[in-house]
Amino acid sequence: MEGIFFNGNNGYIEGIVRGYRSGLLTSAVYSNLTQCDTLEDLKLQLSATDYGNFLANVPGSLSTSIIAEKATQKLIEEFRYIRAQAVQPLSKFMDFITYAYMIDNVALLITGTLHERDTHELLERCHPLGWFESLPALCVATNVEELYNTVLIDTPLAPYFKDCLSAADLDDLNIEIIRNTLYRAYLEDFYAFCKNLSHPSNEIMASLLEFEADRRVINISLNSFGTDITRDERLQLSPKFGKLYPSGTEALASADDIEQVRITVESVGDYKGFFDTSNNKSLEDHFYLREMELCRNAFTQQFTYSAIWAWVKAKEQEIRNITWIAECIAQNQKERIQNYISVF
Amino acid sequence: MSGAANREAVFPTRMTLTLMKGKLKGATTGHSLLKRKSEALTGRFRDITRRIDEAKRKMGRVMQVAAFSLAEVTYATGDSIGYQVQESVKNARFRVRAKQENVSGVYLPQFEAFYIEENNDFKLTGLGRGGQQVQKAKEVYSKAVETLIELASLQTAFVILDEVIKVTNRRVNAIEHVIIPRTENTIKYINNELDELEREEFYRLKKVQDKKQRDAAAQAAELAAKQALDAGHLRAPSALTQSAPEDLTADKDDDIIF
Amino acid sequence: MSQTSKDRSFIAVIGDEDSVTGLLLAGVGHLTEDKRKNFLVVDNKSTVEDIENAFDEFTSARKDIAVLLINQHIAEKIRYKLDGYTNAFPAVLEIPSKDHPYDPEKDSVLRRVRRLFGE
Repeated sequence: MEGIFFNGNNGYIEGIVRGYRSGLLTSAVYSNLTQCDTLEDLKLQLSATDYGNFLANVPGSLSTSIIAEKATQKLIEEFRYIRAQAVQPLSKFMDFITYAYMIDNVALLITGTLHERDTHELLERCHPLGWFESLPALCVATNVEELYNTVLIDTPLAPYFKDCLSAADLDDLNIEIIRNTLYRAYLEDFYAFCKNLSHPSNEIMASLLEFEADRRVINISLNSFGTDITRDERLQLSPKFGKLYPSGTEALASADDIEQVRITVESVGDYKGFFDTSNNKSLEDHFYLREMELCRNAFTQQFTYSAIWAWVKAKEQEIRNITWIAECIAQNQKERIQNYISVF
Repeated sequence: MSGAANREAVFPTRMTLTLMKGKLKGATTGHSLLKRKSEALTGRFRDITRRIDEAKRKMGRVMQVAAFSLAEVTYATGDSIGYQVQESVKNARFRVRAKQENVSGVYLPQFEAFYIEENNDFKLTGLGRGGQQVQKAKEVYSKAVETLIELASLQTAFVILDEVIKVTNRRVNAIEHVIIPRTENTIKYINNELDELEREEFYRLKKVQDKKQRDAAAQAAELAAKQALDAGHLRAPSALTQSAPEDLTADKDDDIIF
Repeated sequence: MSQTSKDRSFIAVIGDEDSVTGLLLAGVGHLTEDKRKNFLVVDNKSTVEDIENAFDEFTSARKDIAVLLINQHIAEKIRYKLDGYTNAFPAVLEIPSKDHPYDPEKDSVLRRVRRLFGE
């Protein structure tokens, strides 16, 4: 039923995204890339893919950071193109995707303001996907009070700030806590938004976001060992949904060694293999692998917005893969080069 | 080394000679000591140089591994954490203290790394993502910096030793080529002068003796002459006295004629 | 010399972003009371003058730096300064960076080593 109306508004975009998805590097291309001896070879190999001559105008010698930057630029161009075509509620959905980057950008600028740095320089460091119109305005603020009261209120992130942080918090709390608090609020908001989308978008997005939430909870739990983050603070940073929620989240918040985390995480069937390090994969690798599998599955359904999310995530993973391979080549660490994640 | 100028301006006396001899002895001992020091330092220096060479090569590898661990962080977090790390800096966790090691009287610094564990500015970096990689990179880089500190110790030792060896060698050379010959020359000069004086003295004494002898001879001759004269006189009057009565009578006899 | 080396306990860094980030992670970074950093990130906007100033600050102005780490490719830009630098404290150490592997031929100290042994 929804298929009838879906194509009217979103068919074109879905078509484009599926086209982009077909342009994602395949395992065969990756195995070619890993054979490269220099970054120039890599460039040559990539020019035969959808990336084309994206590195053509680079002056001087190639570096991994340039490759990563150019690849990201390509992703952003494509994203902006789709965003320009989108109508409600897809446009809102895509905005939600960018909020994650906005949080990073805002966190960056808050750090700069707190340390009284020249925040204009920081604008260059902001992730372009997280760019919003009032972002440069953040630079005007010279102190935290001002930042909170006059500037942040105008950003799309305002509700997240309003709900969980006060101006005083910005000053006192570590920027990482602020960032993760915002992220939690964002994930919960996005989750609520997706719930109201039409079927099957809501279903697929729920599973994707649930995984995202679980990943954060696990990470926060693991990374707060040995720090002075209390159990309550950990709960405060953990999104209130996901496969682990509520008992798992609770348990992870009070866990204080990796074994407890492992037991809790493995109680969820899907996450059973996460702590299996036998095949040289770290937890982070397992997360990425799982994420990519979810994304691949997201493409199997039609008439859904989740394809866009899956494409963005897959593309990001692809950029990470390319950067990783380039890094391995540049630093002559070939034995680790197979560590990329390819699911297509 | 014969120039008369290459000696110290001293009065050639026996006391200065003793002084100079003492100085020469001191210089020779000093020379051999310094030479030994220089050899010890040079040995050490070569050792250090070799280790620097090795350590610098090792550093290349260590830093590469470290840089790679940062690449893993980038892979895990998805973007660069550089700025955040820079801004989180407050107190150094990794510090060095300088110890000193004594090599042949030269104090060589040894940097020693130590951690102030409570200063951890990056505890929360990567909290939501990539935290383990950040911690791992932290470990790897700590090890790398330890290697760098080791190398810095070697390098500082190198710079100091280089300087000290230069100074020591300069001293050795100065003693060998300037002080010792100069002292030797002075001694030679003093000896010469003293000999000269001695000869002069001898000659003078000889002259004096000569003169004395001559004088004595002259005196003796004079005396002899005088004695001879006196003897004549004396003999005559004695003869007179002895013979006077007869002579007198004879004379008188003549006189008596009148 | 003992007096001069005693108070020196920090490691200063002049390097590209990645090198500085890594070394800061190890915990070498420090802010002084008046918020002066002991590191400088050199990017393509930095001028030679910036580097020179930082070098002078770390080597002569500040007395609390024991070791100065500098990326070799950055050292190249102020090579004359390094060649002329012979002080023992702080020790200046040239380190490789991610994109510029270490070349012993360029190192000021190693060049002195070579010269001394007549190679």
